[in-house]
Amino acid sequence: MLGIRDLQVPLLACLLLGGCGGKAWRVLRDRSMSSGLGPTILFPWRLRRPIMIAMCVTELSLGLMLLGTVGRLGAGLPANAVRAGTAVFFLVAVGILYEVRQRRPDVGCGCFGELSDTPIGLRAIGRAGVLCVASVVSIGAPPLHMPSAPAQGGLWLVALAVELAVLAFLSPEVGQLLIRLGYSEPCELRRLPVARTLSALRASSQWRRYSGQVSADVPADVWREGCWRFVVFPGLAHGQRADVVFAVYLQPRKPPIRVAVLDEATLSPIQ
Amino acid sequence: MQSHERQVRHSTDFPGWCDDVTDSTGPARFARRALLKAAVLGSPGDQAAPPKDALLAKASGTLVYTVIGKILDISPHILVLDTDEGEQRFPLAASARAWRGGPVAPAALRQGDHAIVRRSQPGMPVVDRLWAEAGRVTGTIIERDGPATLLVDEGPAKGRRIVMIGAGAAGRIQVRFPRLEPGYLIDVIGLRHDGFLQALIPATAQPPYRAGRPPTPPLVNGHVPDPLGGTAVWHEPGEEPTGLLGIAYPALDPETSCEQAATTPVTCDGDLHAVDPHATGPGCVRLPYLSVGSMLRLRNDCSGRARMLPVTGCGATARLFCDRCVSCGTSQKGRIADLTMAAFVELGGNLEDGCFNATMMLGG
Repeated sequence: MLGIRDLQVPLLACLLLGGCGGKAWRVLRDRSMSSGLGPTILFPWRLRRPIMIAMCVTELSLGLMLLGTVGRLGAGLPANAVRAGTAVFFLVAVGILYEVRQRRPDVGCGCFGELSDTPIGLRAIGRAGVLCVASVVSIGAPPLHMPSAPAQGGLWLVALAVELAVLAFLSPEVGQLLIRLGYSEPCELRRLPVARTLSALRASSQWRRYSGQVSADVPADVWREGCWRFVVFPGLAHGQRADVVFAVYLQPRKPPIRVAVLDEATLSPIQ
Repeated sequence: MQSHERQVRHSTDFPGWCDDVTDSTGPARFARRALLKAAVLGSPGDQAAPPKDALLAKASGTLVYTVIGKILDISPHILVLDTDEGEQRFPLAASARAWRGGPVAPAALRQGDHAIVRRSQPGMPVVDRLWAEAGRVTGTIIERDGPATLLVDEGPAKGRRIVMIGAGAAGRIQVRFPRLEPGYLIDVIGLRHDGFLQALIPATAQPPYRAGRPPTPPLVNGHVPDPLGGTAVWHEPGEEPTGLLGIAYPALDPETSCEQAATTPVTCDGDLHAVDPHATGPGCVRLPYLSVGSMLRLRNDCSGRARMLPVTGCGATARLFCDRCVSCGTSQKGRIADLTMAAFVELGGNLEDGCFNATMMLGG
């Protein structure tokens, strides 16, 4: 059981440094400090930037000091003071997140930069609470040391896995992180030039089959709906004026293509 | 403040199939698209192509709850409107509520006011909600003249509007919009006047970022969810017919929606602050690309009403706002649809609220 106490300090330090890093990354990427303010939205405009800087500096300082006092260096009063400060930090975070949820339920916590745009829910508040408890538990824990026996090491690993699982459950950011790791752009969002669609269409067997009924080089209409781009050519079929409609799936190579030949006036199928 | 004429972008370089909604042949071409799509892909849940008449009826913009017109006469019990169908009389419910810059008694509305009213039951004559001279401006502030006059760019499709903030509303608006400066976003509701909007209510809270730098939206895993939850807002008709039921969609296909229009030359200081929403990335919500004429099923999650609505225009300015609607709980995402005023009221939205939580289903 005591092993759980020993593990809290590095875990808290990693989360604090990760939070600071996430915010800094967002600021650097957007070249603006105002894009993801999170709880600073509660404050007047002129105070938001300094409060955000102060929050980031606090996270960075606490994270570094937790790491600095995790071993024998600084053991005792300095280490306990830093851990108590961390507990106060997360306790204040619980209160602020609750307040933001009440007053601006549409705003994300911004805890880990752009990963934290989901509106603040009970999970985010609960996570701050769990981290506050973890900080309190870590007060008085001995300097971090290697496990004295394999069994103790196994126990630590189990305890760490359980705690990480709880934190992952309480973190909406995990889902967003997993998406980023395995991201491939959905076809609905993919930009594909019309010229490429037309060249794929003209290279297809469907085009060779129906091109005899097409009476113009240029489509009469082209539009897109999600993963499909529709191309309409004027045509003649069985002596009737027709619309030859091709639906081309938006994928770069060998897209599936569907065809309909319709009476121009009634839009009823000719074939 | 300098004079600014409405800016509509045209280019002779656009191919004939470009989604230029000002094209006189456009409406018929766009209306055919749903039919052609159904013919080539089949309608959802049915392999056979649906009959043309059924689809046209489904897509037709018939107002069931909503009536729009000019007030000819109003008393505590009867409203007389000059509508497209001629003079019409409507009994007012005892509980009828009216809005004209704020809540007022129905009898306080004025003759000549442009009104949009909602029936309590579909097709029944009794009216229970009335709005008069309601207007809204949503866009980027590009010029400020004194403390109370703003020039706002509503995006390439809508042009520019002048917003005047009266002394009585200044405090209320500045609480939600602390930066009434060029380059920042504004979204206000108020009373329409000739040539300007008198801003009275903030429609949302001001995004903290500059208009040209909206945050990057979260990535989507697999396909874009369908149905998709988010926020629906409304816009003034502008050059559209006043009774049009439709959606200005924030993510028209960039290849065919004419967003490659020639850049407007800088003619005044304000142009330096104008933001083309198409140039700011995907916006606050990743939405599937659609085109004018695409059909969507939109449900008001607060009232439960749903309608099939066509995409009738470009709502790219909605991309710039990452706000959530909190009219009945917090909406799942930001702005997914910018409805015409008639569609917003038809679906049970209250214009003064500015938004409702919506669920959108692609293709119905």
